Amino acid sequence: MPKVIKAFVRYIDAANKAVGKFAMYLVFAMMGILLFESLSRTIFDRPHIWVVEMAQFFMAAYYLLGGGYSMILDGHVRMDLLYGRWGRRRQALSDVITGFLLIFYMFFLFTGGISASKYALKYGQVNYTPWGPPLSPIKIVMTIGIFLMLLQAIATFFKDLATARGKDLDQDKEETVS
Amino acid sequence: MSYEMIALLIFASMLVMLLTGQRIFAAIGGVATVFALLLWGDGAEGMPFHASFVLLNWYPLLTLPLFIYMGYMFSESGIADDMYNMFHVWMGPLNGGLAVGTIGLMVAIAAMNGLSVAGMAIGASLALPEMLKRNYNKIMVTGVIQAGSSLGIMVPPSVVLVLYGMIARQNVGRLWMAGVLPGLLLAGLFILYIMIRCKLQPHLGPALPAEERQISWGKKLLLLRAGIIPLVIIFSMTGLFLLGITSLVECSAAGAAATTLAALFKRRLNMKVLENTLRNTLSVSCMFMWVILAALAFSSVFDGLGAVHAIESLFLERWHLSPWGIIAMMQVSYLLMGMFLDDTAMLIIVAPLYVPLVISLGFDAIWYGVLYTITCQIAYMTPPFGYNLFLMKAMAPPEVTLGDIYRSITPFVLVMIVGLVIVMLFPQIALWLPNLYFGK
Repeated sequence: MPKVIKAFVRYIDAANKAVGKFAMYLVFAMMGILLFESLSRTIFDRPHIWVVEMAQFFMAAYYLLGGGYSMILDGHVRMDLLYGRWGRRRQALSDVITGFLLIFYMFFLFTGGISASKYALKYGQVNYTPWGPPLSPIKIVMTIGIFLMLLQAIATFFKDLATARGKDLDQDKEETVS
Repeated sequence: MSYEMIALLIFASMLVMLLTGQRIFAAIGGVATVFALLLWGDGAEGMPFHASFVLLNWYPLLTLPLFIYMGYMFSESGIADDMYNMFHVWMGPLNGGLAVGTIGLMVAIAAMNGLSVAGMAIGASLALPEMLKRNYNKIMVTGVIQAGSSLGIMVPPSVVLVLYGMIARQNVGRLWMAGVLPGLLLAGLFILYIMIRCKLQPHLGPALPAEERQISWGKKLLLLRAGIIPLVIIFSMTGLFLLGITSLVECSAAGAAATTLAALFKRRLNMKVLENTLRNTLSVSCMFMWVILAALAFSSVFDGLGAVHAIESLFLERWHLSPWGIIAMMQVSYLLMGMFLDDTAMLIIVAPLYVPLVISLGFDAIWYGVLYTITCQIAYMTPPFGYNLFLMKAMAPPEVTLGDIYRSITPFVLVMIVGLVIVMLFPQIALWLPNLYFGK
């Protein structure tokens, strides 16, 4: 593998790990908002109109920003009727071939995200709710998450290609989910 | 090409992509995008991203990461250890008693968790080695843990029923209430099977030896304290929700917080545990969310083709099925598809096609949700595509082989099919409790 690709894979892995480690703490943000609201409403009789949407935004940010890291952790379920019986190299070969579909999907998610964000910025789009927050910030965050996922899909493609050719680009495997 | 042929082609390409072993979300989302572009050209470009906004507006889905967090935190907290001890001492003297106790433990865990992962992890790490040490048959033991942990999605809280509630537009509180008795019915059937089988073949689950039974009544009663923390957690979560004090998503946050406090109280919480829990939560939540995101895109392509009407005319006009024939047909199709498709994706793709038909035939959508969940439980356990199978393989000690796991599920799947038929014949098992609590 050329040096550029190795560096690319290394940087993308590092970037997604960093973003993912941040994103995983967003669970506490969701938990905190919801607990705050239930206490505020039941004890102090003060409901807030922004709670529902805020929690939704955190959820969207959570799984989209965490997407790349979840790829590194190999957390995505596969149907392994055949796949599970293959050796590591054959699995990688299959992933190289079908990986195009993943990259294709991510690419259109990304272009969709870009145009939705542009639209939201241009027309100052707000959510159609009593609180009515502007939608561009969350759309941009979502698009960034998808972009990171696209980059991770490409990096994973190179890793699989290396494995299929009998080499190893995956420097740190110790951190997979048990 | 007719729309039906196109729909069939889309489905077939998805199955082929799934068979290659590509990540489920990539296979489903990729195929959906390809066909959206082929069918509708440039206008469809935004379609995959649009699905993410549909998902964002599915407010109840916030329960998913929170319940997953709760499950991992719960298995780290050590609360289950005490509960297992309690069941071990109380049920151990019976033939097959430890297996019966494990089912009891699994019901308790199911009442604190919306998925089957926590039950699986606790069963495999705690109950399995204990039972093997006491000469229980390993096939029996693996079956018990798989069947027991599958109750996680039936006994409230249940993430599967939350998803179903969103798609079928039904009240989640009602659905959860409807899951209580069928869940207990299934647990009862499992226990009945274990007791009969171990009575006939005592070597499968020998009673505890006499020296292990010499425990004073005082100690025995003291062990019941293990039930206190779980009851507090269940109350702060499901209890407050059913009393109408917290909303659905708030109750999952309350449960997650209560479990974290319990772990803190048991002095099990440290940075390492916390980080592991958060990482596992992220990984599993992302797995589910990305599958849902892709399945939503797929389902909107399907919807655009008018698949709802196609299915309706196939069942009613071409095959001339009776209403009950259609319900049976649907369950069979779930079981078949469940072999190839991830169950979450299946729900999102198929339920929008089936539920309107079920309602128009005059069946109760709440009852149908319970039927769906039992089918899901079976699909989780049956090869080739079963979450529980793979989790079990990953977590069980090496002497339990994949062959053992496959063989272990057969009797329990049969028992679950009996349970499914009972709930089909007597809808009141599901509907009595929600109707009693919420009124008709």
